[in-house]
Amino acid sequence: MEQFIYYLKVSFKGIKRAPLPYALTIFILSVGLGVFFANATFYYQLNRDPLPQKSDKLFFPMLNLVPYECSTDCKTPSVLSYNNVEKLSQTDIPTQAAAMYSADGYLRQSADQAPLPVSIRITQRDFFSLFDVPVLHGSIWPDNSARHEVILTKSSAEKLFGRTNVIGEKLLLDDRNVTVAAVLDTWQMLPRLYDANNRNHLSDADDIYLPLETGYDMNYLSNSQSQTFDDTDYRQLSTQGRTGALHQLQYWVQLDTPAQQQRYWQFMANLVQDEKAAGRHPSAPNNQLVAMRNIVSYFGGESSDIKAFALVTLLFLLVCLFNASHLSLNRYLSNQYEFSLRRALGANRSQLQLQMLADVLLMAIFTIIGALITGFAGIKLMNQLLPANSLFSNWDLPLLLSLLAIAFVCSYLVTLYPSLRASFGTLNQQLKE
Amino acid sequence: MITLTNLSKIFRTELIETHALREVNLHVEEGEFAALTGPSGSGKSTLLNILGTLESFDSGDYLLDGKSINGLSDSALSKLRNEKIGFIFQGFNLIKDYSIYDNIELPLRYRGLKPAERKQRIEHALELVGLHARRHYLPSQLSGGQQQRVAIARAIAGKPRILLADEPTGNLDSLMARQVMELLEQINQQGCTILMVTHDPDQARRAGRNIQIIDGQLHDSTLYEPLAAQSA
Repeated sequence: MEQFIYYLKVSFKGIKRAPLPYALTIFILSVGLGVFFANATFYYQLNRDPLPQKSDKLFFPMLNLVPYECSTDCKTPSVLSYNNVEKLSQTDIPTQAAAMYSADGYLRQSADQAPLPVSIRITQRDFFSLFDVPVLHGSIWPDNSARHEVILTKSSAEKLFGRTNVIGEKLLLDDRNVTVAAVLDTWQMLPRLYDANNRNHLSDADDIYLPLETGYDMNYLSNSQSQTFDDTDYRQLSTQGRTGALHQLQYWVQLDTPAQQQRYWQFMANLVQDEKAAGRHPSAPNNQLVAMRNIVSYFGGESSDIKAFALVTLLFLLVCLFNASHLSLNRYLSNQYEFSLRRALGANRSQLQLQMLADVLLMAIFTIIGALITGFAGIKLMNQLLPANSLFSNWDLPLLLSLLAIAFVCSYLVTLYPSLRASFGTLNQQLKE
Repeated sequence: MITLTNLSKIFRTELIETHALREVNLHVEEGEFAALTGPSGSGKSTLLNILGTLESFDSGDYLLDGKSINGLSDSALSKLRNEKIGFIFQGFNLIKDYSIYDNIELPLRYRGLKPAERKQRIEHALELVGLHARRHYLPSQLSGGQQQRVAIARAIAGKPRILLADEPTGNLDSLMARQVMELLEQINQQGCTILMVTHDPDQARRAGRNIQIIDGQLHDSTLYEPLAAQSA
């Protein structure tokens, strides 16, 4: 340890001899890494698996149950009708299942208050266990029947009441009375893969949750994707929506084992076959059962901009590495005499490599500080330019550790070649120079 | 102690080959004080560098304490330099922004000596060269002669068995050169083998033996009476 502290002192001396080239090296490396960090943050957050423990067990079933013959566009709709969901719900093969859609509404405590615009997730009770949503106060609806009970997010509760324990409190949801049944704990599933078919997976979570049956009773139409195949006026959702061909529901099931998945797949095939036999399904069967971990790529929701930018920042980092390495080489070559003197006096290469490691450590510390500052500034700038992506600009521990490791490796690379060049020369010649 | 057999060294460039040393045979006994003399470019420094393992050779053999250094790894050569050989360079080769103490400490650091032992050796070496009071000075704060004494202190602090000095007085005036020579003689009297490159015939005479090199060949090897014996 004492020797390593000595190596660190030697490194500091080296910096003091030529502070400007050193600062320039750090600056170049920090800028390259900072830009890379900023983009890597978005790339990581956008592409991360929010439920790694069950993303291969959650599936999004799609049925080609549409009342027309497909001739050109034969893509299976990604949303289901109420009717289809009822049919899919008839089996107990899935461990859990929930239908859902989102709508917009206004919420207030009393009629004399200004209404607060809210995003409503209209869903069934299993939604919360499917996606591991934590409950802070109260309890989730006991079944899927209609009830004028809402579940609030923690932030909605704080915004409306200034506190979180608001179970049993009354609210006006679009001027209809609802009661608070539960308040969720802090929960941010990012990306919200359950909404990937609507390409809404990069947006913020909904503010309140309403039972599906109540949503239909209250005539809430989907604010994202819906398809109709007849002339029915579906604004009267409570009456027409349950029987007509309005497709607006997302449906998620949990299938824990391959056998369960196989059985469910067969169930879907039989369902379509029965519909076909009943003359209600003229198109060829084209069922889909997409695992959550593949849902974004299935719906083509990957951001090509982010991919392109990732490539650009990687190239930029390489250019910065090259330049920093060049500067570092000059610095080391100007110190080559000292390297040779140390070798002449008995330092072996492994001792010189330890010296180099001390240099790397110092450079990594300065670079990491610079890169984190630059990266943070880069993220702030990107949040200004692309506010929609601001949810994905957080550094969590695994990401931060990875970034630190990358900064250390870059510092090592920038130091490795120059120090090897400096320590592998002809001793006698270098001592004369 | 040192035995060179048919040792040759050729410097090659794209166009020419220069035979720096040709079939050199030399034996140096432990405790000798030998001067390497000869005209400029004759191969004196090359021979000294080979003896110090700072430079490789092309053919022949070099035995140090009866063991060939041929084929030794870089680490083994570093260890050998660190433990057995001390260097005194014409240009002192001190690190400018290190204190005298830190400069002398360098080889001891790489030997892995404990701090207390390092301190004891450094202080002993500083006392021997008469610079103990200036141990915290920077080299630039010392005269040339003092800087060379620091270099000598660095060389002897590791208690080497061989001291290789490349024109140690080349950059010094006559008074300081005499002081350095006296110091070297004192070190030699303590049993350290010294090989010193010099152009100065007087200094060569002060050494016990003059090894003359001309055109890379050992031309003459004259034995002198030790100076102490002469004066007696």
